[in-house]
Amino acid sequence: MKFYVCIKQVPDVDAPIQIKEGNLIQDTDRMVLNAYDASAVEEALVLTEEHGGEVEVVLVGPEKAKETIRKALAMGADKATHITTDNDVDYDSAVYAKVLATFFEDKEYDVISCGKQSQDTDAGLAGSMLAQHLDLPYATNAVGLSMEEDKLVVKRQGDAGQEIIGLPQPCLVTCSNDMNEPRIPSLKGIMQSKRKPMETIALSDMNLDEAALSAKTKVTGYMEKPEREPGQKFEGEPDELAQKVATLLDEEENVI
Amino acid sequence: MSTDVLEQATGLNFELSEEQQLIRDSIRDFVERHVKPGVKERDASKEFPHDLVKKLAEQGFMGMVHPEKYGGGGVGHVSFCLAIEEIARWDASLALTVASHTSLGSGHIALAANESQKEKYLTPLAKGEKLGAWCLTEPGSGSDASGMKTTAIKKGDKYILNGTKIFITQGSVGDIYVVLAKTDPDKGTKGISAFIVEGDWDGVESGGKMEKLGMNSSDTTEVIFEDVEVPEENLLGELGRGFVDTMKVLDGGRIGIGALSVGIARGALEESLKYSGERKQFGSPIGDFQAIETKIANMATEVDAARMLVHRAAWLKDQGKPFTKEVSMAKLFASELAVRAADEAVQIHGGYGYIKEYHVERFMRDAKLMTIGEGTSEVQRMIIGRELKKEYWG
Repeated sequence: MKFYVCIKQVPDVDAPIQIKEGNLIQDTDRMVLNAYDASAVEEALVLTEEHGGEVEVVLVGPEKAKETIRKALAMGADKATHITTDNDVDYDSAVYAKVLATFFEDKEYDVISCGKQSQDTDAGLAGSMLAQHLDLPYATNAVGLSMEEDKLVVKRQGDAGQEIIGLPQPCLVTCSNDMNEPRIPSLKGIMQSKRKPMETIALSDMNLDEAALSAKTKVTGYMEKPEREPGQKFEGEPDELAQKVATLLDEEENVI
Repeated sequence: MSTDVLEQATGLNFELSEEQQLIRDSIRDFVERHVKPGVKERDASKEFPHDLVKKLAEQGFMGMVHPEKYGGGGVGHVSFCLAIEEIARWDASLALTVASHTSLGSGHIALAANESQKEKYLTPLAKGEKLGAWCLTEPGSGSDASGMKTTAIKKGDKYILNGTKIFITQGSVGDIYVVLAKTDPDKGTKGISAFIVEGDWDGVESGGKMEKLGMNSSDTTEVIFEDVEVPEENLLGELGRGFVDTMKVLDGGRIGIGALSVGIARGALEESLKYSGERKQFGSPIGDFQAIETKIANMATEVDAARMLVHRAAWLKDQGKPFTKEVSMAKLFASELAVRAADEAVQIHGGYGYIKEYHVERFMRDAKLMTIGEGTSEVQRMIIGRELKKEYWG
């Protein structure tokens, strides 16, 4: 079974975020593997350990993101492809999906997986868009994966409950971080990761035209979450209070 | 830094390599997931955490610096320091277990053993399948090893070992002991040799668990050797060279104690930063008061300074350069900082610092061992003084 896992490097959500004049100031030293992607890597490793096969991770990102690829390799992925981008370019989900679709054009695979979203933008679009480009059957928000004959059986969290979906291969699945606890790389894994094959492709060599590389959405600015205003406190007899609150809700807040 | 990076580096370089960052992040994740929860309970129960040691072994952290050929991690001592610091940040007892097992018991074997001894003993130690203990200190002799009373007298193809060792880390949970003993009592330190002794041999007995100020879930006992028959092939290193090797093992051990001290001090700093932001008095967080701010600024500055001293000593060792003076400086400064920082952290926490609901009182109790173990602060100053006189007076 050939498993491709698309991974992304994102800012550490535990690092403090600053917003200055509508711009996001990030500590670029504190970058990590997107937690949802880590779950996707873990699940791919578990499945290939059980059924045989190979896990390859693919990352689109700047040179610094190599450290995140190393982490996935240290966890146990067999090989990696790094599609390198310039440092200061911001891509949206549509661009990532197009770049990845172009990469996968001439590849053979059974399953492509990725996190259901990434922790930086929480857009949750790239996986579905990629499946559309590649015309693959897909499922999102998986909380469990298993193999049954030639089908990938996806347990997904839907709005009304959990659904079980059998996907014919090749297929694509996006993973929730609820599906497992990603393994921590062992020292042996870290040392072995140095010797695993990592192919580097420059994005500029992929013959993508300007339209493909232009973001379809634009972030116009960032702002701090407004502070919640303190509530009002009333004192008095229950009857009186009920009357007062009801009047306020009706006349000032217009909710009744 | 790992040697491959250093060979490429020119001049000073304060950046960790990608590999070192991965090691640090992995052990940090491990500590957050497995070590931090339950640390107060382990301190209270004083039980040795066999389950955590097993997990650390599975992750490859029980023999990081030993060669891959013998099941070790094959990384340098800077990486080792990063790991020890991360563990000590939350659980100094566990860090002490890892550091002493790696640097002392296994360290002496890695330094002085022959090939077959390494295969037989270093391999299970480096893989963490067995625990190592190093038996140097005696009731009547510490840093002055020449006063040791334990003897190993040759009888046929065996040595007969007799004596009592004290303050032995992994004294009761250890499987493999390295024991220093006098093979020629008339020759002073030149009559000291080292032996590898298996814990289940006849005549090897651990004394009861010692009640300590801190480091509660690390194992410290007496170990008594009574007419233990040690086969001559278990002589470790050359006959009469045990003291020389011991000094080298101690130098290596001080790297671990330095890193452990940095971890405790960092814990004190981070807990103080957190608390001083949350605790409000007179209408503002106490961290906004200059008196508290000054304490925290001093702690942060000294933690960085201590870490740099420790990493320099580790780096020198990895380069194969002399590091006796530098590691004593690192151990001295870092250990005294650990005590100072833990004390300040308790002060910053006020009444809450004095109760066991918060972590800092444990840091204070644990930290004190740092200025004592692997040579007291006074002994470190003696070594530094002696090395300086060698350099300047010749």
